[in-house]
Amino acid sequence: MPPGFVIIGASLAGGVAAATLRQDGFDGDVVLIGAEAQPPYERPPLSKQYLRGEAPFEKALVRPAGFYEQNRIETRFNTRATRVDPIRRTVALDTGSPVHYDKLLIASGVRNRRPPIPGLDLPGVFDLRSVSDADALRSRIVSGRKAAVVGMGFIGCEVAASLRQKGVEVVSVDPSPTPLFRVLGADVGRVMAAVHQDHGVQAVFGDVVTRFEGGAGVERVITRSGRRFDCDFAVVGVGVEPVIDFVAGSGIDTAHGVPVDEYCRTAFEDVYAAGDVANHYHPIFRKRMRVEHWQNAMQQGAAAARSMLGKRQPYDAIHWFWSDQYDVNLQYAGFHHEWDQMVVRGRLDDRRFLAFYLNQGRVDAVVGLNRGKDIRRAMALIKSRDVVDPRQLADEDIDLRSLAQTQITGDQK
Amino acid sequence: MMTTRSVTVARTADIKAGELAAFEVEGVRIAVANANGRFFAIDDTCTHEQCSLTEEGTLDGTVVTCGCHGAQFDVTTGQVLAPPAFEPVKAYPLRVEQGAVVIEI
Repeated sequence: MPPGFVIIGASLAGGVAAATLRQDGFDGDVVLIGAEAQPPYERPPLSKQYLRGEAPFEKALVRPAGFYEQNRIETRFNTRATRVDPIRRTVALDTGSPVHYDKLLIASGVRNRRPPIPGLDLPGVFDLRSVSDADALRSRIVSGRKAAVVGMGFIGCEVAASLRQKGVEVVSVDPSPTPLFRVLGADVGRVMAAVHQDHGVQAVFGDVVTRFEGGAGVERVITRSGRRFDCDFAVVGVGVEPVIDFVAGSGIDTAHGVPVDEYCRTAFEDVYAAGDVANHYHPIFRKRMRVEHWQNAMQQGAAAARSMLGKRQPYDAIHWFWSDQYDVNLQYAGFHHEWDQMVVRGRLDDRRFLAFYLNQGRVDAVVGLNRGKDIRRAMALIKSRDVVDPRQLADEDIDLRSLAQTQITGDQK
Repeated sequence: MMTTRSVTVARTADIKAGELAAFEVEGVRIAVANANGRFFAIDDTCTHEQCSLTEEGTLDGTVVTCGCHGAQFDVTTGQVLAPPAFEPVKAYPLRVEQGAVVIEI
């Protein structure tokens, strides 16, 4: 009997993994289990084009609807994994009998944090992760209405921008000094604050929403410092947490997601993880990281599938993402949490610059506004791990590609 | 029946190796790629979010990567090599005649 592979998470990572298994010639059974009703889809449009009504849902599908059946991929949508037994190699489900696996991929993603704020359950208080969340929010978008955006991370920023673009009045509240503060820091954050203010967002920082008030639905938000903002609806984007409840107690490690090596393997040889949930070892940065972005979900889903098929190719992509807000195309490449030096190429106030995050002279990451071409050029430098001269990094006349001395190709370890 | 006509858009010397240049031909923005001495013509507009491949993109061999969101196209055929784009860009027949880049549109 051919082996059977099970994928938990009909997500971007899970869908790409299933497709990659078939594309690379796997002939056994593939079962794709997803909590949502839809086949795997991409989430970036949910806060942007789809939310604004500019693109149909079908455009977000990872593969066309008929793909899974045509490729003998058994799909179990509207189904949750409730427990994994890595000894018996079974996955228990909330509907139907357990499924057996020979190899398992955990691609269960993340869920939105639900902070204990009174009134969070009032009608009209939304968060955004799934297409049904986007549909619910979209139905409330009417020009002239007032919205409160709680949290100015990437989701909050993109939703605030889309709402403004649709004529909704927006007040935003975030405890940090700027938007995107935790990831990008104060200097870039201040630029993004100005971008939102220029587009009419009433952006409040250093304050926290402590209560949603209303009768039949939310009518206002109240902050710690006593501010009160009337709103017709509210959107909460205050971070995410990995979906690992079904793994807890199984013996599979669940430290900050599901820890895996550079081959997407857990400590159990038949259990793999990919996408937002995977706390993966990165052979170039030589540490573990969990990355909640589109490119990682797609590429790591494919990498995990190939590992499951016995191909020994380490997953060492330089992480990259974009965030479109109004006319600003923000892109980021690399990985950093903190930095001992930031070098700027261009001028922050021009909203067309690169900001490099360095540690001990090496570029760990770069963020750029409206400089996508240069973000690509900086990737080789990040990958090289070479020490750079900050003056050259800041010098617009020096091609970033010339700063990487060590050429590392994707095939090398 | 569709008829095509030949349009001279540039001198080969005007487009450096490894670079793209855009030309407006009959209302269409066309990108001409110099892939290490071989020339190819495709639509300049990325099918994902309508960015200009010439202005935003980078050419690596015969692969152009859109700088806005990372979609990749094969400049020899216009085919998508990497998402988020999923529709190809149109490729145009091109020939080099005595140092001139001639596109059929």
